[in-house]
Amino acid sequence: MGNSSSLMLRDEEIDEISRDTEFNRNQIVRLYSRFLSLDKKGQGYLERDDFLNVPELAVNPLGDRIVDAFFTLAGDNEQKLNFRQFVRILAHFQPINRGKKNVLNGRREKLRFAFQMYDLNKNGYITREEFKVILNSMVGANITAEQLDKIADRTIEEADGDHDGRISFDEFCRAMEKTDIEEKMSIRFLN
Amino acid sequence: MGPFFEHIIFASAFLFPPVALTVLLCLVLATFGKSLGLRKLYVNTLIAIFEWGARQIKTTKKMEKIKRGESSAQLFNLGDCLSSSDDEQPSDDNEVRSDGYESGSGMRRRHGSGTSVCSVSSVCSRTEPALLRKNSIIRRETQIQFDEDEDDGEVLVNSRGWAVMRDSIDFVKAGIESIIEDEVTSRFEAEQLASWNMLTRTSIRFYQFVNWKLTVLYSLGFLLRYCVLLPLRISIFSIGLVFLVVSTAIIGLFPDGALKRRLNFNCMLICYRILSRSVSAVVHFHDEHNRPPGSGIAVANHTSPMDAMILSTDNVYALIGQRHPGILGLVQRALSRASSHIWFERSEAKDRATVAHMLREHVSDVNKLPILIFPEGTCINNTSVMMFKKGSFEVGATIFPIAMKYDSRFGDPFWNSSEQTWAEYLLRMQTSWAIICNVWYLPPMRIHEGEDAIDFANRVKKAIAQKGGLVDLEWDGQLKRSRVPPKLVRKQQEKYCHRFARYTSTSDGLRANAEAEDDGEYITFKSPGVSGYNSLEELPEDVIVSSDEDEGTIPEDAIPTRQRRRHARSDNDVDDVLLSPITSQ
Repeated sequence: MGNSSSLMLRDEEIDEISRDTEFNRNQIVRLYSRFLSLDKKGQGYLERDDFLNVPELAVNPLGDRIVDAFFTLAGDNEQKLNFRQFVRILAHFQPINRGKKNVLNGRREKLRFAFQMYDLNKNGYITREEFKVILNSMVGANITAEQLDKIADRTIEEADGDHDGRISFDEFCRAMEKTDIEEKMSIRFLN
Repeated sequence: MGPFFEHIIFASAFLFPPVALTVLLCLVLATFGKSLGLRKLYVNTLIAIFEWGARQIKTTKKMEKIKRGESSAQLFNLGDCLSSSDDEQPSDDNEVRSDGYESGSGMRRRHGSGTSVCSVSSVCSRTEPALLRKNSIIRRETQIQFDEDEDDGEVLVNSRGWAVMRDSIDFVKAGIESIIEDEVTSRFEAEQLASWNMLTRTSIRFYQFVNWKLTVLYSLGFLLRYCVLLPLRISIFSIGLVFLVVSTAIIGLFPDGALKRRLNFNCMLICYRILSRSVSAVVHFHDEHNRPPGSGIAVANHTSPMDAMILSTDNVYALIGQRHPGILGLVQRALSRASSHIWFERSEAKDRATVAHMLREHVSDVNKLPILIFPEGTCINNTSVMMFKKGSFEVGATIFPIAMKYDSRFGDPFWNSSEQTWAEYLLRMQTSWAIICNVWYLPPMRIHEGEDAIDFANRVKKAIAQKGGLVDLEWDGQLKRSRVPPKLVRKQQEKYCHRFARYTSTSDGLRANAEAEDDGEYITFKSPGVSGYNSLEELPEDVIVSSDEDEGTIPEDAIPTRQRRRHARSDNDVDDVLLSPITSQ
């Protein structure tokens, strides 16, 4: 009945993803149809451009960095993201559920995503320069270089427990302790 | 071979009279603008069939579920944990879950017509945007537009330095939400339907095999559409087209004057009525006392190339648009023979001033027809209204807003020009069940004292969105083809900076500086004080009927920006431009 080639998601696959990500079947099917519509060229995977074609993401000052973190976390050097990887990343943003294991959406995993975004060269540390790059994309040209430096200094100083001038993931988590990450990095997925 | 041909000849001889009679009947009825109520009957029958189909799908799903032994408790797990914080959630969830397998009553509810489509009222369709949410994956919470006043006092800054980090988390959430679901891209795709309409349609879940009864029904429908409706419609369409070309050629011979105008008026009505029957268009006009009288600008939301045809079955308009090649070009040239329309070349479209001048001239002539403009400049999928280009609102003429809302259950009139050619689109329309459209004439609007064109355009847009039950969006429809201009990103940065400056102001002189910047000391690309996305002056500003293959026009004063945009686009990286001071260090 019609174009069945677009229905590449088999039942077993859905079950597997569901076990993997704690999304339910309905959510997976919906995310899949979103995946297909993002995949304008119909390649079966997403590229950076496919993400940045979403205007709301493109106007997001950190949009580019978010896409970057997406690809880094997926562990894909080829800059191609298949549906499995796509759902897996999104699973990080599920609300924390007390009754489940929260393999992907625990507090630390959520923070990992944010950390990846800052850690531009992926060496496990956020340096002052890296932070300045992010800060700059957030505020644009509305701040002077001195102010930028000042803010960067203060931010690094505040989280830098071992005073090595950079922030490790552990330091990052500690600095975020007061922040309600469960709320701030959870998206309300509908059933 | 011989007997085979004989059969064909025999069959066609046998079939010719009924086909010819049907076509003739259609033509005669169209000529006088009368209806026998057959289309209404047809549409109501279709609704009954679709509802039966929806019930079939529902029961089949239920059977499957029982077979699989799936406990519904498992399905609700996530909903339970969510609902603790939101009372509304559970009911919404139920709807979402059952969506697609909805019963007949659900389908009625969604489309707001209890007994027949013909009774769809504006009140019912106004509730539709809320119901459209049913197809959502997530509940959007975060928007990156920081409203300057709202955030005041809300932000508790425990540690000043870390504030940036925490804010960046908000950006991340907003970004991820927009990846999962966004307001804009979905508007350029075919709208999702609540139940299968026996046409191959967008939603993947409808493609599954449900049961043999539905398959048979689908096949019968397919045969009807392709073997009976399509040939009939093609003949009607061709006749309509020939009539249009011939009649306009004859009218063109008459000297200008009242007689010519009257002839043109009547002929065009007949033409468009014939053409509209080639897609079984059922159009309901509301508030006809507001119909644009003599000259003026009629402004409507844009879904398909048929919009102009649909509107023209009730009133004759002058059209404005770029010249098209092929069959559209033929129609355009024919139309111009009988009355004045504004067609411009693609290159000329770049020169906005020329078009604006032609428009102004046209409007000031009382003998000319009201001009029909689709200020969105591109086709939107009929769930929303996007930014209106200000061009047509600058002229200063009275604006007659028209809201159009199609009932996409019987065939989706939205033309996705990036996926379909015009011919494919036409074929799809002629093999659909029917095109049903509600048209509301709104009271005429004039620009207020001290109101600029952009605000006026937004006011008109809002009125249209409300009347048609559409979502009022501020995004530019040109985003369908082009990337977000860096200027919008800058706008966000600026907004964020304002917010940021507010709660760091106590510690250092940032605020003072930020305010100094407001006076233009540092910022080189400061936009004029326009709010939100209306400040897209650099974006194409065309006032085009179907600009759908148009690259867009850009006013001369924005050339530097345009180059910058090109640069940014080619690098796929907006930040490139902005980050250069740092990365070069």
